[in-house]
Amino acid sequence: MSTTKGGSMSATKSGSASATKDDSMSATTVAVRPKSTARARVRRRVTLFATTGLLALFALLTLSLTTGEIPMPAGTALRALIGLGDPGDVLVVQEFRAPRSVAAIVAGAGLGAAGCVLQRLFRNPLASPDVMGITGGASLGAVALIAAGASPTLIPVGALGGGLLAALLLGVFAWGSGLAVTRLVLTGLAVQAGLAAAVNLMIVRFPAELAGSALQWTTGSVYGRTWAEVWGAGGAMVPALATALVMNRQLAVLDLGDDSAGALGLRTSSARLRLLVLAVVLASLAAALAGPVTFVALAVPHIVRFVTGPPTAASLALAGLTGAVLLLASDLVVHHLLPIEGLPVGAVTATLGAPWLLILMLRQSSPVQRSQ
Amino acid sequence: MTATANQLSTQGLDLRYGDRLVVGELDLTLPGGAVTAIVGPNACGKSTLLRGLSRLLAPAAGTVTLDGSDIHRMSARTLALRMGLLPQQPVTPEAITVEALVRLGRYPHQRLLSPWSAADQKAVDEALERTGTAALRDHPVDRLSGGQRQRAWIALALAQDTELLLLDEPTTFLDLRHQLDVLDLVAALHAEAGRTVVMVLHDLGQAARYADHMVVLKDGRLAAAGAPADVLDAELVKSVFDVDCRVIPDPETGTPLVVPMSRGARRGREPERAEARRAEHGRGLDPG
Repeated sequence: MSTTKGGSMSATKSGSASATKDDSMSATTVAVRPKSTARARVRRRVTLFATTGLLALFALLTLSLTTGEIPMPAGTALRALIGLGDPGDVLVVQEFRAPRSVAAIVAGAGLGAAGCVLQRLFRNPLASPDVMGITGGASLGAVALIAAGASPTLIPVGALGGGLLAALLLGVFAWGSGLAVTRLVLTGLAVQAGLAAAVNLMIVRFPAELAGSALQWTTGSVYGRTWAEVWGAGGAMVPALATALVMNRQLAVLDLGDDSAGALGLRTSSARLRLLVLAVVLASLAAALAGPVTFVALAVPHIVRFVTGPPTAASLALAGLTGAVLLLASDLVVHHLLPIEGLPVGAVTATLGAPWLLILMLRQSSPVQRSQ
Repeated sequence: MTATANQLSTQGLDLRYGDRLVVGELDLTLPGGAVTAIVGPNACGKSTLLRGLSRLLAPAAGTVTLDGSDIHRMSARTLALRMGLLPQQPVTPEAITVEALVRLGRYPHQRLLSPWSAADQKAVDEALERTGTAALRDHPVDRLSGGQRQRAWIALALAQDTELLLLDEPTTFLDLRHQLDVLDLVAALHAEAGRTVVMVLHDLGQAARYADHMVVLKDGRLAAAGAPADVLDAELVKSVFDVDCRVIPDPETGTPLVVPMSRGARRGREPERAEARRAEHGRGLDPG
């Protein structure tokens, strides 16, 4: 037996292993040149995208600090930010404009990253914390705490509790389907609607406590944020975002499916749970600052993917940056460009988000997509 | 020690999906340092056994041991450093490039915060080189041909740098040329890199050609195990696959080759009548 075996081995090996190599070489040498520059092109795109994003963020931040009831030149506003210049300007910039802008940046970053994580985790371009009810749950948690008279620094804790509750509800109702795409989205929309109704009920029931922030919790708004709130949620957001970047490797391995991921030594169920909780934390902290803002988490991963191609750790970081730019820009539009006074930023993002969601749904159910 | 290294064995192994017993009371030893082929009819539990051997499925009873230690008592990472698996239908992430895919094979070697190391890159480059996919490294995997894609996936398992490699039907959906490519690659991994390979195969002739050791399953139970030349005969094929056949030495390699009897003969008619029918219809098969 061993002799025949050895014979077969050497015969087959020398027969076509070399032929294989030759073939793959000749088949690809033509394409190699443009492809390896393609990788460099992606890298250039990422750098360009990051630079543009940072510049845009800085420009928008400056703009948000300079414009308002009392317009001031950019130099004055930036000096006022660090406490120099006219005390009136310092008060306006430091206590009103800066916390609002920083809240928009922190919440936007959290939403962008949360959307990115959720869409990869569920392999579903429709997955996002606002579609799945997580931001709705977080808003309910925050509202419940405010109604109970808790201090504003506790809002993130309430939001987190509410977000986890929403994720739990989603799990209970959508579990049997093995997390099938349509069922997840439909269940999420139902959970979101139910939680939004509960928020409205709270606002009607506790009008005095919630009078000042009703719009924030129903539509999403960063109006009137204070430093206490920003530090609370922002302080937790930074480690959450760092964790997301570190856990990107696990996301990438999960992309290979449960069997391959398991064979690579990843405990898939617990990794999924950890990543889901992480996404809930990111989205809930964002909601603690801005309420149930829609569209940002849904759209940002698509925008980033469009520019940088398949997801990497860099694209996760870019999602955070893009989310921040998007929410800050939307808030500026709401605050300064629209003729309607007191419109919440959530109204703008929802206006953009509705057709976006519709387009995604249509593309998902188109025959071309289904056959893939 | 070298004789028993990378030896997988099962003791009284039961594997279940829910209430259904798929593999029952299996006592099996897969020799280390060899190529083992697991064969058997559809739904006989071949893939399930492979999932049990690689810890993806917990046994309902019994144990799976690797060099004597229970794999379910090892950490997932420890096992992943010793054993790689290519599933039957792996999920290719959208638009991922060959190199990005292969890099994921380094996952068990990386600590939470450790950066990509020179050793990682070396393992990836070697895996690409060995599988002949180095020139494809920047190509998206989902645009490759079936054979190239399978080689990219094998490269991932190679980058994992394990002594033991489990392959679940690595040749399915490939044409003959690419089936041979993959099997030749497996043979080379064994011969040149000293890997222990356990693979599920459909084709008995290919299993006999490429494997040192053969495990035949029927209805989740062990039907036979041993060297292909000792195991594979007409009686076994009849009892396991319910096919009348002749087993002859492969004219190329001398390994056993299964040649099914003609249709007429398998229906119990005399060969002469089958010959006559074939002559009459011009072909061996008629849609009757």
